[in-house]
Amino acid sequence: MSDYVIERVKTGIPGLDELIEGGFPKGDTILVAGKAGTGKSILATQFIYKGVTQYNEPGVLVTLEEPPRLIRRNMLRFGMDLQKLEKEGKISIVDLSPSKEATPATMVEYPSFDLSGLQAIILNHVKKINATRVVLDTLSIMAYKFRSRDILREEFFKLAANITRTGCTLLITSEIPAQEGGLGVFDMEAFLASGVIVLYNEKISDTSRSRSIEVLKLRGSKHSSRIHSMRITDEGIRVWPGEISPGS
Amino acid sequence: MKKEPIVSEAEHSGMIEIVLFKSDSCAFCPRAEEVVVETINDFGPGIFKLTIINVSENPEAAEEYGIFALPTVMIAGVSITGIPEPEMLMKMVLGAKVMMKKKSESS
Repeated sequence: MSDYVIERVKTGIPGLDELIEGGFPKGDTILVAGKAGTGKSILATQFIYKGVTQYNEPGVLVTLEEPPRLIRRNMLRFGMDLQKLEKEGKISIVDLSPSKEATPATMVEYPSFDLSGLQAIILNHVKKINATRVVLDTLSIMAYKFRSRDILREEFFKLAANITRTGCTLLITSEIPAQEGGLGVFDMEAFLASGVIVLYNEKISDTSRSRSIEVLKLRGSKHSSRIHSMRITDEGIRVWPGEISPGS
Repeated sequence: MKKEPIVSEAEHSGMIEIVLFKSDSCAFCPRAEEVVVETINDFGPGIFKLTIINVSENPEAAEEYGIFALPTVMIAGVSITGIPEPEMLMKMVLGAKVMMKKKSESS
C-alpha cells in the first residue's frame, strides 16, 4: 500500500476521531444517519462548533428543519454558545426551516427544476466566512418539500459535488424512518456520501435504551468495524472507542 | 438594517406582483421566464409588476424567501416550482386578484 496520507478533518467529538483514523477525509461528503432522537443534529452541530473552537475552521450550518433559535438554545445546554461564534463571523446558521414566514406555500411542482437556489445560498455563506465545514441538517425534509424524487436524487449529487469542490467537508444528516431499514427516505443516501456514520438508540430492556455509533463506511480509511458506545453528556456527544455497545 | 421586502410597492398601486427566481446555471429558467412574460403580455400593461431575481447575483433574496428550487414563480404568498403552465399561472393570478379585492374591501 502507498504511503500517501489523506488530509483529515478532525471532528473534535471526543472518541470519534480515534475510530476514523484521526478525522474525516478533507473535502468528502459524510452522511450521519439514524432514527429520530439518536443525536444526529447534536453530532452535526458539534462538528461545526468544535471546528471553530478547537481547529479554527469556520463552518456553515444549514438548517432545513429546526429553527435557529432552538438550535442555539439546545446547544447552550452543552456549553456551546453558537451565537457568540456567529457574532465573531466564525459560524453561519442558515435558516431554511419551514418556520420561516416569508417562504411561499408551494401550489404546484413541475418536474423541471434544479436546486441551484439552495446551492447559491450555501455557497454565499461559505464564501462570506471562508468556511471549510458545511452541515446540512436534514436531507430527509426535502422528501416532504418536493415530490419529484428522481430530480432530487440527481440534484443532491450535484449539490454535494459543488460544495465539496470548494474544499469544504460536507456533513449531511438523514433520518431513518421508524419502521424501516436503509439509511434514509431517498434510498440513495449511501451512494451520495463517501463516509457513512450510523447512530442508534436501541431499547435493551423494558426500562432502558443504549446509544451507540457505527462507522459503516469511510473510503480511504481503516475505520473500526464495531458498534461503539456513545453517550450524550453535559458537553455533547462522547464516544467510547474501547467500549463495544451492549446491544451489538 | 431592515431589508426592503420584495413585494411592496405593487400592492399599493393595485398591481399584482409576480416574482421569478432564476439562476445563471438553471437550464429550465429561460423557458420559465418566457412563459411568465408571455402570460403577462396577454393581459396588457398596468396589471402586473414583474420582478426577476437572479439568485446567482442575489442569493440573499433566495434565502429570505426560502427558495431552494429554480425556477420558482411567486405570486401573493404562493409559488410554482419548475416551468409553469400558463393555465396555472392564470389561476394564481386570479387568486391574487381575489385576495387583493378582499384586502381593499376590509381596509
